[in-house]
Amino acid sequence: MTMLIERMSYDNGEAIPYVDSRIYSDRGIFEEEVEKIWKKVWLVAVHESELPEPLDFRTMTLAREPIVIVRGSDSKLRAFLNVCPHRGNLILRQPSGSLTVGEPSGNANHMTCMFHAWQFDCFGRCVDIPRAKAGYQDRLRKEDIALKQLPCEVAHGGFVWVSLNTKVGPLSEYIGPAFDIMREELDTEPLTIFHYHKAIIPSNYKLWHDTNSEFYHDYMHYFNRATSMQQKGYFERQYTAFPNGHCTVGSMEVKYDAYQGAQDRVLSFPGMPRNGWKMVDLFPGATYNIRGSSLRVDTMTPLGPDRVMIEFRGLGLKRDTPDEQAQRVRDHNTIWGPFGRNLHEDLLGITGQGVGMQPGSTPRRILHGRRENNTIHDEIGMRHFYKEWERRIGRSPNDPFPETQTAAE
Amino acid sequence: MNVVAKPELKSLDDTIRETIYRACLLLDDEKFMEWLALCAPDFSYRITTYSPEIRRPMTWYEQDVAGLKGMIEMLPKHNTDHGRLTRHVTVYAVDSDPARGEAKATSSFACYRTMLDGINSHIDSGETQLFLIGKYYDRFRIDEHGPHFIERNVFLDTRRLDKGSHYPI
Ligand code: FES
Ligand SMILES: [Fe+2]
Repeated sequence: MTMLIERMSYDNGEAIPYVDSRIYSDRGIFEEEVEKIWKKVWLVAVHESELPEPLDFRTMTLAREPIVIVRGSDSKLRAFLNVCPHRGNLILRQPSGSLTVGEPSGNANHMTCMFHAWQFDCFGRCVDIPRAKAGYQDRLRKEDIALKQLPCEVAHGGFVWVSLNTKVGPLSEYIGPAFDIMREELDTEPLTIFHYHKAIIPSNYKLWHDTNSEFYHDYMHYFNRATSMQQKGYFERQYTAFPNGHCTVGSMEVKYDAYQGAQDRVLSFPGMPRNGWKMVDLFPGATYNIRGSSLRVDTMTPLGPDRVMIEFRGLGLKRDTPDEQAQRVRDHNTIWGPFGRNLHEDLLGITGQGVGMQPGSTPRRILHGRRENNTIHDEIGMRHFYKEWERRIGRSPNDPFPETQTAAE
Repeated sequence: MNVVAKPELKSLDDTIRETIYRACLLLDDEKFMEWLALCAPDFSYRITTYSPEIRRPMTWYEQDVAGLKGMIEMLPKHNTDHGRLTRHVTVYAVDSDPARGEAKATSSFACYRTMLDGINSHIDSGETQLFLIGKYYDRFRIDEHGPHFIERNVFLDTRRLDKGSHYPI
């Protein structure tokens, strides 16, 4: 192997591409990623069905910035920095709720900062500053104060996308054709959320995206070996790479009944064959995964070089009857819930990688070199991601610190 | 006055309590098939919770007896960590109806995980962490063989389960 791996630029098409393990563990690189990637691009934040009514809100933290998404009295979704312009307190503190409920120090229909009771309306405008005239005379008026508004779009199955970059281009430009493979499933009729859970894992966020971007690890999942790898069409599934680091995986027909106790999926999505399976991996850290009856969407919040929060959502069709939704929930959770067969295994996989590449460990080479004509066990999805990473960070993933030590074989 | 307590027949409520505790011991020992023997053929098992994020109740796991048996038989084929789960349970309330041969019970539980290879076994093995807390809502049918579980709803307060689990709680 030593002979085959030369010190050269990442994925030049000849040797076995690899990355330096420090891209998964170095604190400085992590900070560069936050600034150059996470604060610059479009990120999936929540699904529109999580805040269905006017004045519903949903909070989150993107790249360390507290954000609130509010559905206005005009039903439009807007994103604001959830930080008070007075003295920097967090304004809305619960994960979700309705502004129609009054707060101890503020009125209903407002976002109130509990500290000194500055109040804001659903458009982010400041509507009350207690004793403003007495304290600020004419130097500051509520009309001059507003929450910082952020770019926000609803798209691709009704998800709410936010960017911390006020100069970001349109979402459609960032995504390009990456959702073409799923357009019918996502956008024929409204979707609704039925599942949410989160995990914090002592590992680097990119390792989760790598897992979502390669299927060679189906060897870890008995469920997938039985229902997919041993079935027709599996090895023909194709990866397609798109601009800006996104990629997709084409469908196959999964044979669920090849796993004892699992059943064929009865429900599906518009345009999706029963038991079909498609994926869209989005740079830098989200995955849409439709398997038969449920759509799973993973979003990541990197917390440090060796710590990531992953949120998992499950969705079906808004028009589902309660029985149909219950069926989708069962299908989803058999493999993807916190007690599901696959998710637990996937999370253990990246936990082990977190131990193998912890901050300060000796730099090592991590192989990204499987080539199988872009089919299912090809690692093209990962390599495509790291080319975009290289472009944005300005470092080579296989030689991130050219001035110092290189990764051992 | 005779202050020595007379041995009395166990009350039905005591028997229900004992059945819940016995179920926990069997689950702690990973004797899942023996645990299922405490359940009626029409037993249903669910793990549920409520998400304040999406403001909806959620069912995270749902199986009947056949499903549970299949899941247990498949465990050796699946990868998992080898931490052991230990349940600490207090039965808070038992409502039994001997005439109808039915009972309900509400118990509070904490489930701890004693780690072996969960993260880095050299460092973590032997450490016990709180995995989750919640309530058991159990229903029983009582016949001449005693009480059998016909329903268990494991309602979780803990919603961040991180790497999760392959085992019933
Ligand atoms: S910090 Fe918000 S009102 Fe003072
Ligand atoms: Fe997986």
